[in-house]
Amino acid sequence: MSLLVADGITKRFAGITALDDVHVAVEEGERVGLIGPNGAGKTTLFNCLLGLLRPDAGSVSFDGQDITGLPVYRRARLGIGRTFQRVELFSGSSVRDHLLFAHRIRSGTGALWKDLIGLGLPKSAEIERCDALLESLGLGGMGDEPIEALSLGQSRLVEVARALMTQPRVVLLDEPSSGLDRAETNALADTLARIQSEQGFGMLLVEHDVELVASFTERTYVLDFGKLITHGPTPDVMRDDQVRAAYLGDFVAGTS
Amino acid sequence: MTASVLAAGVLEETIRAFFQGLPIGAGFALVAMSFVLTYKTSGVFNLAFGAQAFISAATYYELHVRRDWSIWLAVLVAVVLVAPVLGLLLERLIFRHVHAASAVAKLVISLGLLVALPELFKLIVDYNREQPFGAVGIIPDGTTVYRLFGRYPVTRDEIAAFVIVVAASLALAALFRYTRLGLRIRAVVQSPRMTELNGVNADWVSSGSWMLSSFFAGLAGVLLVPTTSSLGTVLEPTGFFPIVISALAAAALGRLVSLPAALLGGLALGVVTTQMRTHVPRDNVILAELQGPALPYVMLFAIIVFWPAIRRQVAGADPLLGVSPPPPALAATSRSRGMTIYTRVMALAFFTAVGIWTFGYANNFWISRITHSVIFSIIFLSIVVFTGLGGQIALCQVTFAAIGAFGAMQFAQRWDVSVIVGMLAGAAIAAAVGAVLSIPVMRLGGIWLAIATLAFALFFHDVLVKYDWVGGSLFHGRGVPRPEFFGVDFSSRENFLILCIAVLVLVGVLVILIRESSTGMALRALRGSETAAESIGVISWRSRVIVFSVSAGIAAIGGGLLAMEEKLVGYESNYDPQTGLFWLVIVVVLGARTVEGGIQAGVAFVIFPELVLDRWLGLHGAWRYVLFGFAAISFARHPEGLLEHGKRRSQAMMQRMFARRQPAMAAATTGPAVPTAADPEGEP
Repeated sequence: MSLLVADGITKRFAGITALDDVHVAVEEGERVGLIGPNGAGKTTLFNCLLGLLRPDAGSVSFDGQDITGLPVYRRARLGIGRTFQRVELFSGSSVRDHLLFAHRIRSGTGALWKDLIGLGLPKSAEIERCDALLESLGLGGMGDEPIEALSLGQSRLVEVARALMTQPRVVLLDEPSSGLDRAETNALADTLARIQSEQGFGMLLVEHDVELVASFTERTYVLDFGKLITHGPTPDVMRDDQVRAAYLGDFVAGTS
Repeated sequence: MTASVLAAGVLEETIRAFFQGLPIGAGFALVAMSFVLTYKTSGVFNLAFGAQAFISAATYYELHVRRDWSIWLAVLVAVVLVAPVLGLLLERLIFRHVHAASAVAKLVISLGLLVALPELFKLIVDYNREQPFGAVGIIPDGTTVYRLFGRYPVTRDEIAAFVIVVAASLALAALFRYTRLGLRIRAVVQSPRMTELNGVNADWVSSGSWMLSSFFAGLAGVLLVPTTSSLGTVLEPTGFFPIVISALAAAALGRLVSLPAALLGGLALGVVTTQMRTHVPRDNVILAELQGPALPYVMLFAIIVFWPAIRRQVAGADPLLGVSPPPPALAATSRSRGMTIYTRVMALAFFTAVGIWTFGYANNFWISRITHSVIFSIIFLSIVVFTGLGGQIALCQVTFAAIGAFGAMQFAQRWDVSVIVGMLAGAAIAAAVGAVLSIPVMRLGGIWLAIATLAFALFFHDVLVKYDWVGGSLFHGRGVPRPEFFGVDFSSRENFLILCIAVLVLVGVLVILIRESSTGMALRALRGSETAAESIGVISWRSRVIVFSVSAGIAAIGGGLLAMEEKLVGYESNYDPQTGLFWLVIVVVLGARTVEGGIQAGVAFVIFPELVLDRWLGLHGAWRYVLFGFAAISFARHPEGLLEHGKRRSQAMMQRMFARRQPAMAAATTGPAVPTAADPEGEP
């Protein structure tokens, strides 16, 4: 049984069919890519998986449980983590705070009475855990930095770290390469690959950058005009004529 | 036969109520359109319209009634001259400069003006509040009754109000349709930036719409005086609250952005009001209240909670989810160890000195003032918890304080329970009321939360306080004893002060614990980014409801202590909603984000008018409303508060001085420069 499954998802906006009977599945510990040209419906699908949009038809399930109607925070608590295309960090907080908040929410120790008798203060074990994760992402020693002082690449890593502190079983990455240059993208991909193989969570990578998907994922889905045009092992998908047509235009596809 | 006669009677009553409702609705519609105009063109949700309407009405009264000017000259000055000039000044001097501020910051500024403007007016014209107003309308012989279709009575005032509003609406429609200014306003509403790119000066358009809306508010002010009984015999700014609330309800029907909806909504609510009065039976207490003062508040609350358009708007758009821009780090978190020790030693020395003076040398008057300062510090910590940590504005803290005070009173009077137990019970009740009240509106947040809590505060003030089980009976009076427990008698001034200080320390520690613990973390995450907070599993409305409830409890404890200190519940002087607005303004101006900020606001609230204004400067105490009200403007630039801002600056200066002597230490503690990264690069 797959971990995260979107089954027959259809979503219409004012007469335009953004998604038409789309089926996507992510297995435990698997790296999956989702590509497609602009307007293909990637973001819509992403939002349906996360609970930001309700599909008109079809269902989303996680670990066998139907989560189609659950709000964002319930999905997060079940173990679906995410990052943002346009980084969304907690302004005014330090780098370590981001991890600490996520850990607290996940571990569910946030009862008010505990706070009121002083049991809710950050414990040294928690802080060590946060710092250990920062260290392994190459952000060691930056725990006290204000989040505004970080570069975009570092910010994306903090988003990843924040998602990981919720102990997700699957992480949805929304265009992690956007705004990064090739070298930064590669560095991010390397770190992601290492941490993913260590921790074994599933990953759905929604990307523009075909190169990144090709080098990083095991399986790939391709969307175009709201329809799933193909899916399969990433190397096969990259050789597919339809994909090349969708991405590079008929002219290039025809000449190649 | 009898049935048809009865039906004819009901029909006639319905029609009569319809004609009576239209002029009332016309007044609502005028103010509602003012709201929409400024909200659309400058993003300001201008609660100060109540104050602007008051100023025009009071100017008219001053000129016509007290100085015997002719009606038309007085109207000309009050409505055609004063109102638009006031609008222009507000726009030019204040709102133009905070264009980029968050919706909540602009709301705070308008609250400051709502507090400051009427007081400033009263101080300038020496407006005598004691003199009866006598409800003089702008229409000669306005009470003359005509009969529409030979049977439905309407007064000349009512006809005039309706005709003027319809004419004003038509003129407004024509302005939008046929004039350049109208076209530009419409364009600015669609997209201010795009309009500027097309070479239209959006500032000019903004000024125009402020003058226009202020004119409407002024017109409503003078028109409504005779038709609305709630203004009564004394013209006071608070008299306009019910009208403003009804107008808000009308504007809310059009999600604050549709002028036709505001007009129709206003008329409809006026008609609903009179129909309720006609047809709803009066034998039930709740139904009877709904025909009277409770109606506007219930309508507004119901519209905010149930009107689907508002829900959609909040879900779909950002401007109303007005979480403040990223606040800079607190001074205390960025200072070096040396500075920390220095600050603590100085604070300890200061408090020791004040303590020695208070308990050794101060007379009764000053002990009482200091006790008041401590108690108001406790109350203001409730604002620190909700507004400072939660980043949201609630305007009913004063109501929770009143609940605490009445709780202490009721428990002591009725059941002869210790007044401390009564106060704690009051706090529990306030916390429960806070939770129940906030659950339906907390998801909306921002402006809607502020409006809904204001509606609740006014509802309590105009409706609930009258009941024996809330405000006490005339027979028993509102006396409250000082407490005695564990064998210690706290009835002396000094002992009671010690008790209050102990409570303040306890509450202060609790606030810090909340800030640093899980609940505070969830709130800080929400403040930083609501989307991201939900993506890690924060339940935004639940965290806010919890903290709102805690804040209600704190306010109630403070309110209970205040009643014990004064030995009675001085409801009118301490707990009315207007005072509550000032509480929020003073805390936010001085620093809502720290416990010290709350304490400083408490001291300032009590000592400042007494010492600085009265003794040193020889000014009237009302100047505090004017000074702090206008100081609310600073909130847009320094959301952390003026004292925190000053502290950070002086700290930076002192650390530079230290740095010259100890370069190595300074280099280790200054930390990196923090760019104002409100908008990190990346494709949207």
